[in-house]
Amino acid sequence: MELPIKISKDSREPIYHQIVNQFKALIAGGQLPTGTPLPSIRALSKDLEISIITTRRAYQDLEVQGFIKTLQGKGTFVAELADDLKQEVKVSSVHKIMENAINTAINYDYNLEQIKDIFLEILHTYPKGKGDN
Amino acid sequence: MEPLLYISNLEKHIMDDFHLGPINLHLEPGTITALIGNNGSGKSTLLKTIMNLVKPDHGNIKIDNKFVHGENESWKPLVAYQPQTIIGWNAFTGEILKRLIAPLYPNWDERLFQKMIELFDVPLHKKFSKLSQGVQQKLNLALTVPRNAPLLILDEPTSFMDIPSKKLLIDLLVDWMEPGNRSILIASHQIDDIKKLSDYLFVLHNGKMLGHFEKEELTSTYARFWLNDSLSDTSIPGEVSREDRMIISDNPAETEAFLEAMSIKWSNRSSLELDDIITILLNNKKKMGGIQHGSHVNSGRP
Repeated sequence: MELPIKISKDSREPIYHQIVNQFKALIAGGQLPTGTPLPSIRALSKDLEISIITTRRAYQDLEVQGFIKTLQGKGTFVAELADDLKQEVKVSSVHKIMENAINTAINYDYNLEQIKDIFLEILHTYPKGKGDN
Repeated sequence: MEPLLYISNLEKHIMDDFHLGPINLHLEPGTITALIGNNGSGKSTLLKTIMNLVKPDHGNIKIDNKFVHGENESWKPLVAYQPQTIIGWNAFTGEILKRLIAPLYPNWDERLFQKMIELFDVPLHKKFSKLSQGVQQKLNLALTVPRNAPLLILDEPTSFMDIPSKKLLIDLLVDWMEPGNRSILIASHQIDDIKKLSDYLFVLHNGKMLGHFEKEELTSTYARFWLNDSLSDTSIPGEVSREDRMIISDNPAETEAFLEAMSIKWSNRSSLELDDIITILLNNKKKMGGIQHGSHVNSGRP
């Protein structure tokens, strides 16, 4: 199974960290439901063109944080997540993306007031019906 | 974990003009190491020395804690070795070769052999000499991998194979590694083998060891900076090459600190592809750093 995980070697975020965050988002967002079998460390390393040292570290982190579990001899699976953990991941991923966007704008010399205007402008042009809940 | 392959201070002098080593290398179970070097760097000699086909002048090699260069040959079933060229197979068909080889290996995997023959479409009834070089390599692989020895040593196994077969082999080796206690040492010039299979790169240049690098650590050691303006002759810390406004550094942190301190602006910083890094390593032997054994060797001397 090829997972929709993309790593950027140019990013300052360490590669194992990128993998952990993307798995968390896929799991909390429901794209990888509880019990989904995950690729072996060796197979994921091949797909992402990284060493098993990096992949193993990512899986260990995910396991410690309760997102995945390894059953001896059976493989690695998505763990059952508590609702508050799911919520936490959602909140932090959205926050992070917004922060990145603000940083980009600041790098282009926008001030906070202008950034707010841009944000409202985008919100305003956003198609009705999407995100009305 | 106990290393599966342990090489310490290995040296070998060949004729008057080639000196291999000193080589230090440990391979842990569960890992794949790509053996990389320029042509004539001593890769095949190193592999032959591991197989006791070449006697070293100095140093030790142990496989699963058993000395290779001694009376006791109990290490032999622990390694499956595919040499670059095979002598003595020409007169035999694949079927006969299999019947000769399989009984020597207690863990011979007949199903894997049949699967490889089918995947690679190898005719077993033809004499080895009648097969094309690519098909010879495929048969050779099918006679090597199913030995299921803990240590698999491959010497440029796919140099003549077509692209789809190379991809099949990568997937096959990925599966083969699943038990977790096996290791592969593969000499290769194929960038896909290096990117998709290897965890470590062991780099040789003219017989000298340039280092044993974990793949991502090696990648993170290099960065490319695009400066906003071209610079005068200022030398920049970490700089390994410069083309107009593009600088390649093997110490990005130091380079960046310097650029900031000198208020030199740059628009972009990116990582390098592994093949670019290998090219730099093999072309600029002066600066180097191995991560595992710390004992890097001066090179650049003939």
